[in-house]
Amino acid sequence: MRSLFFLGALFGLALLLQVTLAGMISLWGAVPDLVLLPVVFHGLWRGSREGALWGFAAGLGKDFLCGHYLGLSALSLSAAGYLAGWAESRLYKESTAVALLTTLGCSLASQLIYYPLLFFVGVKVPLVTAVVRVILPTAVYSAALVPLFYPLFSRLYQRGWMGSG
Amino acid sequence: MAAGKKVFLLVLLLALTLYLMRVSAFGPRGEAPAGGAVRDLLAPLQQGLTWLGEGARKALSFPVSLVHASRRAEELSRRVAALEGELLSAREYRLENERLKQLLDYKSGPAAAAGLEVRAAAVIGRDPGSWFATITINRGRAHGVAENMTVLTPRGLVGRVIGAGEHSATVLLITDPRSAVGALIQETRTPGLVEGEAGGTGRLHMIHIPNDQPVQEGQVVVTSGTGSLFVKGVPIGQVTRVKRDSTGLFLEAEVKPFVDFNRLEEVLVVTGVRSP
Repeated sequence: MRSLFFLGALFGLALLLQVTLAGMISLWGAVPDLVLLPVVFHGLWRGSREGALWGFAAGLGKDFLCGHYLGLSALSLSAAGYLAGWAESRLYKESTAVALLTTLGCSLASQLIYYPLLFFVGVKVPLVTAVVRVILPTAVYSAALVPLFYPLFSRLYQRGWMGSG
Repeated sequence: MAAGKKVFLLVLLLALTLYLMRVSAFGPRGEAPAGGAVRDLLAPLQQGLTWLGEGARKALSFPVSLVHASRRAEELSRRVAALEGELLSAREYRLENERLKQLLDYKSGPAAAAGLEVRAAAVIGRDPGSWFATITINRGRAHGVAENMTVLTPRGLVGRVIGAGEHSATVLLITDPRSAVGALIQETRTPGLVEGEAGGTGRLHMIHIPNDQPVQEGQVVVTSGTGSLFVKGVPIGQVTRVKRDSTGLFLEAEVKPFVDFNRLEEVLVVTGVRSP
């Protein structure tokens, strides 16, 4: 129950920061995905099922708060959480470098899922523009923030604040 | 005898003293001849005594001065911090004042001349992602703001309202990939459609420009108004590059918007257009 409360609060905080702060720290138009980070971290520590579930919930919250197409972020973040969970039993998850690379990969995958979904809702973006201007910069920027947050998250998971594994 | 000897010694001492007084006096021709020698002789001693005295004075007054200096430094630090805060606030107010004055000048000048009824609004939020470009403003239906109203600044077109709440509204920026604005090249009246680009690049593309109507770099693009949601004649940007599109049937131009979308803080919503 306590871990559920903490996870909810954590994802709520990430959503709040994404909506209020992320736009202000954009670099050359790229905005870091602050919601993706806890989704990947959670998947990395708790496996695919939980990663996908929390990714979906957080994505839905993001869609709702941003006033865009409901389900767009939910699906892409759910995929990111699932992929991170795949790495849970295969990689050394205590390492920040592993978390960074996993975040980079999951962010790329998440954005590559987001891209065709945009076509699905009628938004056409040229592939080169999407990759060069959005997908790569967002993935790199988000992954670059991992060393700032992952050590703290890692400790919280190790101490059982985010539920037992 | 003894008394005579004493008097003699006294007189001798007096004479010697007087002599010394005489030779050490500061005469009309400058320093007395023995002055330099005496001073040189006494200088090391004087220097030593002065050094000791100064050291003693400092040693005695140091703790007191330290307390004073510490209090003074603390007081000055507080004052500096307070003044820096005031300076920043003043600078912020000055900049805000300049921006609002520009909006006011535009509202009562060019906008009024063009028959536009505008309402100023502050930008209170931005799209939190990289794909889309929207802003949230602090004016809504309660202030006469409705969907599809044109949003601009004195520099040029910003976008249009796509959602209006009671006290806030969402504006789709012209840099959003979902945005399309009917436009004209100001000089030649060549028509086209200005679209945004994903990724917050702030770049625009003017597409569907007829092949036979040359477009040149530096030309200004304005809203066409015809069959469009946007009011006519609002500056959009300047052509920076022209090329043929993939079909070969039309020209395509890259347009640099006049508005700096990263520094957008106040905007004007066109709430009505008066007939001339």
